[in-house]
Amino acid sequence: VAPQQTTVLLEHLFRHQSGRILAHLARLLGPAHLELAEEAVQESMVRALQTWPEQGAPDNPAAWLFRVAHNAAIDAVRRDRTGGQKSAEFLAALSQSAQIIPGEPDVEEQLRDDELRLVFMCCHPAIPGDSRVVLSLKIAGGFHVREIARAFLASDEAIAQKLVRARRRIREQQLTLEMPRGEELRERLDSAMEVIYFMFNEGYGAHEGEDLIRTDLCFEALRLGHLIATSSIDSPRVHALMALMALQAARLPARTDEAGDLILLEEQDRSRWDQELIAVGFHHFDRSMAGDEVSEYHVQAAIAATHARTIDWPLILHLYDQLFAMNPSPVVALNRAVAIAKVRGAAEALASIESLSLPGYYLLLAVRGHLLLELGRREEAAACFNEALACRCSEPERRFLRRKIEQSGRGSG
Amino acid sequence: MPKYMFLLYNDPSWYRKLSPEEMQKATEKYMAWTRKPFVADSNRLAADTGRVIRPNGGHPRATDGPYSETKEVLGGYYTIESASYDEAVQLALDHPHMEYGGTIEVRQVFGT
Repeated sequence: VAPQQTTVLLEHLFRHQSGRILAHLARLLGPAHLELAEEAVQESMVRALQTWPEQGAPDNPAAWLFRVAHNAAIDAVRRDRTGGQKSAEFLAALSQSAQIIPGEPDVEEQLRDDELRLVFMCCHPAIPGDSRVVLSLKIAGGFHVREIARAFLASDEAIAQKLVRARRRIREQQLTLEMPRGEELRERLDSAMEVIYFMFNEGYGAHEGEDLIRTDLCFEALRLGHLIATSSIDSPRVHALMALMALQAARLPARTDEAGDLILLEEQDRSRWDQELIAVGFHHFDRSMAGDEVSEYHVQAAIAATHARTIDWPLILHLYDQLFAMNPSPVVALNRAVAIAKVRGAAEALASIESLSLPGYYLLLAVRGHLLLELGRREEAAACFNEALACRCSEPERRFLRRKIEQSGRGSG
Repeated sequence: MPKYMFLLYNDPSWYRKLSPEEMQKATEKYMAWTRKPFVADSNRLAADTGRVIRPNGGHPRATDGPYSETKEVLGGYYTIESASYDEAVQLALDHPHMEYGGTIEVRQVFGT
């Protein structure tokens, strides 16, 4: 008879443990044997599925998975999967490591360090830019190719290809899990932050209810950001990134209504914002103020913090001006236009984005349509919304656009 | 109350297609089902195909398991209590095993 205990495990336990156990095994066996380590981790989970229903989940499921994955790795090395030479060395290291128990403070510190090294390897400049994110999600995040494909609205084959390329680079360039130093560390940290922020934005671009895997990306980005922000290599910029992501993620629950339709920022029910994430965001925001550096992450964090506190469009516009001066990209210009419209009116906002070109980017067309509608130029607005509908966007975004088209056609705006 | 055996067959490599997140979900579902009140006993069998003893013309001999030709193996069994065969079948239909590519054979245990 099964023991009387809960049958629900800690949320994302397997996914998170898979990342960290893999990181630890990779540290012991080296990146050359990453696939063996991945199989060992998978084996531990199959074993859990086969034994926990009868025996009940162990008191420390993470430690159980850790130990069983070690045993599976030991078996694989014994079957000579590592190609002989160093197998005695590997067996000794694995047997010793199998004794340690996750959950104890010094072990946790070691495991966090392992994860950090793995993330940094995934973000190595030798790996092509778009493969870094995919590799980080697969290796450090415990995501499956299929899940990554769904989150990126890409095909499984496309994602698998990126992984193949990344793994080939790891082998060819003989990448290690050594922590880089000096200037190289700075570069790698920049790359890791880019990967994390990209991951976050990919997740944030979709809407809750549509596909939860996308919000999982946001939280994985937060988890990886937290890993760096709580390590010895943290910097004010890392805290700015964390602040920015936490404050934006806090708004996730309020971004759609019960029907799954979009709610614009100023119409959101602020009581639905995640207060815990807001607190996390402000904690990191404060820490981002150490030193004199003002990075783009800082300015974006300031924008998110302003939104979290109050509605202050003049300040938001001022911050976007600052951001635009640092990075005059079309996307920044577009966001700035929204603030211009609030402060100085739709005509000026429209003028500010007249020359922008972002082919296939629905948001530019949606904003343009919105401004045209505000100016009473209905036909042009409807044309913009229709064009936007032809771009890649989520189902709630489509419904939003259709509502706008309907509005453009009616007598009142 | 009559007892029934549920024999759970599957291809063990099927689980390897699942992501960690899906493995966790599967584990939770199997755990929840196994805790249901009508389950009298349940056991998992090791994932190899086992050994089979055959007559071998009067000199019984062990050979590799019966399923070496197919990928499906008997992976576990339950003994459950149920008022009728129909009800037992209904209970089996609700098991998560089929979601994960498995099949269940329901058999009544005599003398119960």
